[in-house]
Amino acid sequence: MKNLLRGRLFLGALSITTVLVIYVVVTNQPDNNPSLLPPISLIIGSFFTNLEAGTLLDALSASLFRIFLGFLCGTTAALVIGCLVGWYETVEYLVDPLIEAVRPIPPLAYIPIVIIWFGIEEFSRVLLISIACFMVCVVNVIAGMKNVPKVYVDAAATLGASRIQIFRTVAIPAATPFIITGYRIALAAAWTTLVAAELIAAPNGLGYLLQEGRRYFLTDQVMMIIVIIGVCAFSMDRAFRAIQKRLMVWSEARE
Amino acid sequence: MPEIKVNHLSHTFGKNTPAALTVLDDINLTFPSGSFTSIVGTSGCGKSTLLKMMAGLFVPSDGEMTLDGDVINGTDNRRGMVFQQDAVFPWMTVAKNVSYGPRLRGASRAEQAEIEAKWVEMVGLKGFEDRWPRELSGGMRKRVDIGRVYANNPDVLLMDEPFGALDAQTKERMQSDLLKTWNQTKKTVIFVTHDLEEAIFLSDRIIVMSARPGRIRHIEEVSLPRPREDAMRLESEFLDIKRKLWGMLEH
Repeated sequence: MKNLLRGRLFLGALSITTVLVIYVVVTNQPDNNPSLLPPISLIIGSFFTNLEAGTLLDALSASLFRIFLGFLCGTTAALVIGCLVGWYETVEYLVDPLIEAVRPIPPLAYIPIVIIWFGIEEFSRVLLISIACFMVCVVNVIAGMKNVPKVYVDAAATLGASRIQIFRTVAIPAATPFIITGYRIALAAAWTTLVAAELIAAPNGLGYLLQEGRRYFLTDQVMMIIVIIGVCAFSMDRAFRAIQKRLMVWSEARE
Repeated sequence: MPEIKVNHLSHTFGKNTPAALTVLDDINLTFPSGSFTSIVGTSGCGKSTLLKMMAGLFVPSDGEMTLDGDVINGTDNRRGMVFQQDAVFPWMTVAKNVSYGPRLRGASRAEQAEIEAKWVEMVGLKGFEDRWPRELSGGMRKRVDIGRVYANNPDVLLMDEPFGALDAQTKERMQSDLLKTWNQTKKTVIFVTHDLEEAIFLSDRIIVMSARPGRIRHIEEVSLPRPREDAMRLESEFLDIKRKLWGMLEH
């Protein structure tokens, strides 16, 4: 088991190193144009320049704030509505067609209408992220509620549980694996939407720095921000997996 | 005293349609308080359906069932049920599973702890209180299931082929242990099975059902002495009953 883990870490490190080495080799070619493919030293330099100027931390905090708020609103709404739709058939027949009809629309398609209605204020950006989180999360919550094994529901009922008690003590815990997966996918969707929303209209944020990098031809800055987004999204997902593992201590399949 | 009565009960799936299928036809039964009754029959005889109706999980199309004169209408904590499938909640430890019913009705922590200690020991799982169900074998999970139903203190225990998925040795041990527990509590038990040996070993009375539509074919009083020992399974009286009932089942 330990050997296997070490082997896994090694292989993971190997693939990342390989890509880095190839990048270094390519950027060291005499005919490489550093404006298109900036060497790693320039990318790191851009990181420190932006860090010292304070622009990076400003952008990061603005973006993280939007992510957290949007994620929180979107997933909370998804949890409430998903539970109701998945548990009460009347609500399902009422709301499910609506969700199914709206679901295939990419969240970015709402950008124009959100800008028309709410302008390019902070609210619009958070709203877009909320929509994105809600859409991917709600589907998982509904699936979780629908997949509650019937024998658990029957067992609770014959032990004297009321409908609402079954919901609280059986349906919610049984659906937790699905719900957590929904939250994880929502987090990924939050990052995707964030950058798109900030690319279009934002006075700050990581997406804004990307846009600025393009405008002033600062390829090193663009590259640097891409790496930052990757690292942030990756570490947040890892944190989520740790939470998942803790909550799912009872489950046979904990991934 | 808690006594279950089944009066002129019939059930037809898809009643008043061309595809109507009658699974139970005019069933009349009385299950006296404190008795152990088994219902046997080949698959499709409606025995599980009948049991689910007594639990309140299923509404018959005609007739009614009463518990102590009260018409059974929906589920409640007076009739506990053990299912063939694994119904132990995987997100609760052994102890929390056992005290689930009392907790629903607002038992205090002290009461819950007392119930947990009593029933975990009664079903032979002492030392496993804080384990997750995934860490237990199939037989042990069935013990949790039985302990959970007993801890809820129902008037009647309904068991739907509870040992159907267990290996032969585990099954025999579970049967002996079930009888021990039954002997200490004297609760009314209605036990559905397709295993004749199991039915004879456990019961005071065996109801044999025939299929399509489900009807009562025969009622056998089992006069083997109690407590029942494993060796009885090979005695001639036991085997005589088995032979007689075997001939009645449609093979």
